[in-house]
Amino acid sequence: MSLVGELVVLLVNGLQTGAIYVLLAIGLSIILGTLKFVNFAHGALYVVGAYIGLLITQQISIANGQLAEWGFPTLGLGWGFIAALVIVPPIVFVVGLAMERFVARPFYDRPDTDQILVTFGLAIVVQELIHALIGPRSYTYDIPSEIAGGIPFSGPVGVPLSAVTIDVWRVWVIAITATLVIAVYAIVEYTDFGLVVKAGTRDPEMVRLLGIRITRPYLVMFGIGAGLAGVAGVVGAPLSNINPEIGMTILVPAFLTVVIGGVGSIRGAVLGGTLIGMVQVTLISLGTVSLGSLSINFTPWAQVGIYALAVVVLLTRPQGLLGSEEVTA
Amino acid sequence: MSHDGKSVSRRGLLKNAGAAGTVGLVGLAGCSEGGDGDGDGDGDGGGGGGDGGDDYPALGNYPIDGDTATFGFNVPKSGPYSSEGEDELRAYELAVEHLNNGGGWVDEFEDLSGEGVLDYEIDFVEGDTATDASAADESASRMVQRDDVIMFSGGSSSAVAIAQQGVAQREKVLFMCCLTHSNDTTGKDCVRYSFREMFNAYMTGQALTPVVTEEYGDDLDFYQLYADYSWGQTQQASMKQFFEEAGWNEVDSVATPLDTSDFSSYLSEAQSSGADVLFLNHYGLDGANSLTDAVDAGIDEDMEIVMPLYNRPMAEAASGAIDGIYGTIAWDSQIDNEPSNQFAEVFGEEYDGRSPSGPAQLAYAQTLQYAAAAERAGTFYPPEVIRELEDYDYDNIGMGEETMRACDHQAQRAIPVVRGLPESEQEGGNFFEIVDITSRDDVGYGCDEGPAAECELGEYGDE
Amino acid sequence: MSDEVGSAAETEADSEPVDESPTLYERWRQIHDNESTVAALTILGVALAPFVLVTLPTQLGLPSEYSWYHNLLTLTLIWGIFALGYDLLLGFTGLLSFGHAIFWGTSAYAAGIFSANVTGSPLAMILVGTLTAVLMAWIIGWISLRRGGIYFAILTLAFGQMIYYIFLSPLGDITGGENGFTGVQVGSLFGVVDLGRAVPFVPEAFVDSWMYVFVGAAMILSVVVGYRILNSPYGAVLRAIRENEQRAEFVGLNVWRYKLMAFILSGAFAGLAGSLYVIQRSFVPIENTLNWTVSGDIVVITVLGGVGSLFGPVFGAGLYMYVANIVSGMPVIGEFWHMILGIVFIAVVATMPHGIWGRVDWLRDRVADAIGGDER
Repeated sequence: MSLVGELVVLLVNGLQTGAIYVLLAIGLSIILGTLKFVNFAHGALYVVGAYIGLLITQQISIANGQLAEWGFPTLGLGWGFIAALVIVPPIVFVVGLAMERFVARPFYDRPDTDQILVTFGLAIVVQELIHALIGPRSYTYDIPSEIAGGIPFSGPVGVPLSAVTIDVWRVWVIAITATLVIAVYAIVEYTDFGLVVKAGTRDPEMVRLLGIRITRPYLVMFGIGAGLAGVAGVVGAPLSNINPEIGMTILVPAFLTVVIGGVGSIRGAVLGGTLIGMVQVTLISLGTVSLGSLSINFTPWAQVGIYALAVVVLLTRPQGLLGSEEVTA
Repeated sequence: MSHDGKSVSRRGLLKNAGAAGTVGLVGLAGCSEGGDGDGDGDGDGGGGGGDGGDDYPALGNYPIDGDTATFGFNVPKSGPYSSEGEDELRAYELAVEHLNNGGGWVDEFEDLSGEGVLDYEIDFVEGDTATDASAADESASRMVQRDDVIMFSGGSSSAVAIAQQGVAQREKVLFMCCLTHSNDTTGKDCVRYSFREMFNAYMTGQALTPVVTEEYGDDLDFYQLYADYSWGQTQQASMKQFFEEAGWNEVDSVATPLDTSDFSSYLSEAQSSGADVLFLNHYGLDGANSLTDAVDAGIDEDMEIVMPLYNRPMAEAASGAIDGIYGTIAWDSQIDNEPSNQFAEVFGEEYDGRSPSGPAQLAYAQTLQYAAAAERAGTFYPPEVIRELEDYDYDNIGMGEETMRACDHQAQRAIPVVRGLPESEQEGGNFFEIVDITSRDDVGYGCDEGPAAECELGEYGDE
Repeated sequence: MSDEVGSAAETEADSEPVDESPTLYERWRQIHDNESTVAALTILGVALAPFVLVTLPTQLGLPSEYSWYHNLLTLTLIWGIFALGYDLLLGFTGLLSFGHAIFWGTSAYAAGIFSANVTGSPLAMILVGTLTAVLMAWIIGWISLRRGGIYFAILTLAFGQMIYYIFLSPLGDITGGENGFTGVQVGSLFGVVDLGRAVPFVPEAFVDSWMYVFVGAAMILSVVVGYRILNSPYGAVLRAIRENEQRAEFVGLNVWRYKLMAFILSGAFAGLAGSLYVIQRSFVPIENTLNWTVSGDIVVITVLGGVGSLFGPVFGAGLYMYVANIVSGMPVIGEFWHMILGIVFIAVVATMPHGIWGRVDWLRDRVADAIGGDER
C-alpha cells in the first residue's frame, strides 16, 4: 500500500472515530455550558439510541434476557437500517426532553456533586435495565445486506488515488456528523433562539431579568444534545458492538472531548473529537518505530494517549483549546 | 444423622490442612462455610446421602449436605465470547437433564445410570464470566462459597479459565475446563484441580502447519494480529514457532485488546507490511469482527488469511468472509461417528434443530466425564475423582481414542482442521468443510517438553 | 453515642476552627471517651458479625443461599475500609473523586507483585501497597486539585482510565494485562500464623479464620484512626472547607494543602483496603482493581451508606456486598439487582444527604427524644 493510501485510511478512520465523539460531546458541552449541568447519563442516551436502532433495524433473539422468559424470545421490527437512522433521533430527542424535565431540572440548584451523582445513578439504571431485559450479550447491526439495495455506500469502493479500499460507511458517518454539526452551529449562532441560549450561557441572571423565559430554550437544547447522542448510537453501531455497557465506556472519551475542546463551544467539541480520534488511530497505526537503537511500540499506548492528551490540555489550558472561560460551578 | 461428627471432622481438617501449609488463604474459609451442620437439619430431609461420605475427611465442598449435588456453570453471557457462552450453557443444561433422567451419551457411558450421580440428584447454578478474568474469579468464588458447588465448569477465554483454575486449586473444588486453548492452561498455569479436554495453541500449530504450508507454499512472510491475553499470546508464540520451523518468516505481530470492535486501524498496518499471509488470532465476536473488517478492507485480495482457531458461531457471524479461511476447531457436528451424531441429534431435538458448536460438545463432554469419574470413584471426594480422571482412556465423545494425561491434565486427542465455505455453499448449518482430522499421533508433546515442561500440578489435598 | 462526627462538629466549623485552650483538656477527655466508645462498638460489631449474619440465620432455618457467608463478610470489611477512606474525601471535604480505583488498584498490584518477588508477609504487602497508594495519591492529588468541582471529578476519572490502560497493555509483561496478576504468593503472618487457618479455641460459629481476625483488626484500626483524624483540629478544617471554601481561605488557611492531605489520607485507606483485597483473593484481577467501575462502585457504596459518618460507608459496603452477591442469586429480582441498587441510589442522592445510615441515625435520635433521653 502506498503512503498516500495509508494516509487516506488513517484520515478516514481517525475522523470517523472522532465523529462519534463529536456527536456525543456537542450535547454534553452545550448542556454543561448553558445549564452548568453535568450529565453523566449522556452515555445512556447513546445506548438507548443504539438499542432502539437495533430493534428497528433487525430482529434479534434474546437468550439471556428476562424478556425471553416473559415470552418474547425475539424482538425487533426488521425495518432496516435507513428506517432506524430516520426514526431514532426524534425518539431520543423526546427521551432527552423527559430527562431534562424529570431528572435534570430538579437538580439545577443542587451542588454539582449531586448532579454528577444523580445522573451517574440514572446511567446505572438504564444500563442495568437493558442488561436485565434484553440480556448482556453483544449485538452487531447487519448493515451491508441492508444497504445493498441500490444505495451507493454499500460495500468497499476503490479510491482511485491508490489501491486501498475504504469502508464507505465511515465516510458517511463523517458526512452525517459534519451536516448535523453545521446545522446545530447555525441554530446557535444565527437564530434568535440561539441568541437566547448564548446569552444564557454568559449571564443567565441578566436574561431572566430581561423577562425572557429561559426554560424553554434550555429544554430544547437538552433535547437536541440528546438527539445527537442518539444519532451517534445509530451511525456508530455498524462499526462497533452493541451491549449495555457501551454507554459508560464511551462517556469517558466524550467528556475528554468536551474538556479538551472547551466547555460550551461547538467548534471546540469538533476540534477535541477530531484530535482524540486522530491520536487514537495514529498511535495504533504507528506500530513499532525505531529511532536508532531505541524502538518503541506505540500500539499499546493508543488508549493511554488520549487520556494523556486530556490531562495535558486541562493542566496547561484549563478552559480547553477553544473555550472562553472555565466553568467554575 | 452424623451432623456433629461431620462438623468435628471439618474443624479437624481446617487445622490439619493449615498446618501442612498446603492451602491458600481463602481456601478454608469456603469449606468451613455451613460447617456447623447442626443448623442444617431442618432442610436436608434425606440426610447425608449414600455416597459413603464417612470414609473421607471433609475437603472443599465435600461432603455434600442433603441429597442434591450442585454443579456450577460459569460461562460468558456478556463480552465478545457471549455467543459461545450461550451455546455452552445449552449443552450444560442438556448434560444435567441427561444425568438425572437418562438420554444422550448418558445411556452409552457405562459408568452413568441416568438416575443422578451416586444417588444424588444433580442441580446447577449459572454465572456470568463476562469474558473477563475478574468477573469469572468473583463468580466462581461465589459458586463455591455461596452455592457449595461440588464441581464447576466453564471457559471461553483462557484468562477466565486460568483464573478459575486458581479458585479451584485454592478451594479444592474441581474445575472442568470447557473452551480454553492457551498453552498456559495446562502449561505454566496448570493445576491439579482442573482438566482440559480441549487441545491448545501448540497442538493447533502442529496440526495447521502442514496443511497451510502445503496449500500456500514455502518461504512466505506472515504477519500476526493476536488478542492481548493468555490465549492470544501463546497462540502467537506457537504460530511463530511452527511456521518459522516450516520455513516461513514472521514480519511482525501486534496485540489487540480483547473486546475490540473495530480492527480497521490494526489491519491497515498489516496491509502495508508487505507480508503474504495474515494470521488473525482472534476468537468469538472479536474474530468475526476482525475477519469481516479484513475482508471489507480488501485484504483477502492481496494476502492469504488464516484464522488458527474458530468455531460455528464465529463462522456464522462472519458469513461470506469465512470463505477459504483455514483454521482448527474443537469439534463439529459434521464429524461422522456414533457419539458425534448422537450428540448433534439430541441437541437439535432439545433446541429447535440447532446444530451444536464445538464449545457445546466440550461442555457436555466435560460434565459427563466428571460424573462418570465420580461414579467410578464411588465418591465425590475430590482427590479420588481426580485420580479416576488422570490417565483415563476413552473414545466415547466423538474424537476417537483419547487419553487424559496425568502429568499435565491435557487430553491427548485428534484435531479437526477446517476450511471455510463460500457463502453460496453455506447451507444446512455447515459453514466449513473438514479438511483433515489430524491424528493424535501427529500432534502433542512429551511431559517434559513444550508447555508441559512448565507445568507443576500442585497438591491433591489429601496428602 | 452518635458516630455522626459531622453533626457534632458542624457548629464549631463556623467559628474558629482551631479550638482555644481552656476547654482543651475537657475536649480531649470527651473525645477520648467517644473514641473508646467508637472503638468498642467497632470491636463488638466486627466480633459479632459472623455469628449474627452467618451462623444465626442458618440456625433459624434461612436457606443458606440467602444468608451471608464468611468470605463475604471479610470482603465487606475490606470494602468498608475503602469506603471509610473515600468518605474522608467526599463526606468530610466535599471532593467527589471518580478515580479512587487508582489507589485501590495500584496498591493491589504493588502488594501482589511484591509478594511474588520479595516476600509474602501480609504486613509487608500491606506496607508496600499502602505506600504505593500514598505516593500515587500525592502525585495525582497534586495535579488534580489544581482544578475544582467538575474538573476534579473528570480529571480523576481521566487519570484512572489512563492508569488502567497503562497497566493493561504497555505494562502487560509485569502486570499480566488482561489475565490479571496470577503469581500472588501470600505467606503467613509473622511467619507463624497461616491466615487461612481456623483460630484455635474460638468456636467456628464466631470466627472462621485468621483472615477475618486480620481484616477485622485492620477495620478497627481504620475506624479509630478515621475518628481521630476527624476529631482533630485538622478534621474541623476539612469540614470548614466543605461548608465554605472561600471563607476558609479568607481566614488564612491553605485550603489546597488541606485538600491534598485529605486526598492522600483517603488514598492511604484505599491502599490498605486494596492490599487486603489481594491478600484475601491471592489474585489481582484488573477489571476489579483499576477499571473505573471500581471508582463508580465506591461512590455508590459511600453515598448509599451515608456520607459524613464513620459507620455509614461501612454499612453501605455491607448493603452493596449483600445485594451484589446474595440478592443477585435470588429468582426474578436477582436479574434486576443492579438496577434496583441504581434506583435506590438515585433516591438517596435526591432525598437523603446522609444516606441510609443517616436516616437510621435520625430515627434513633427521634426515638431518643421521644423517650426523653439526652442523646447529644
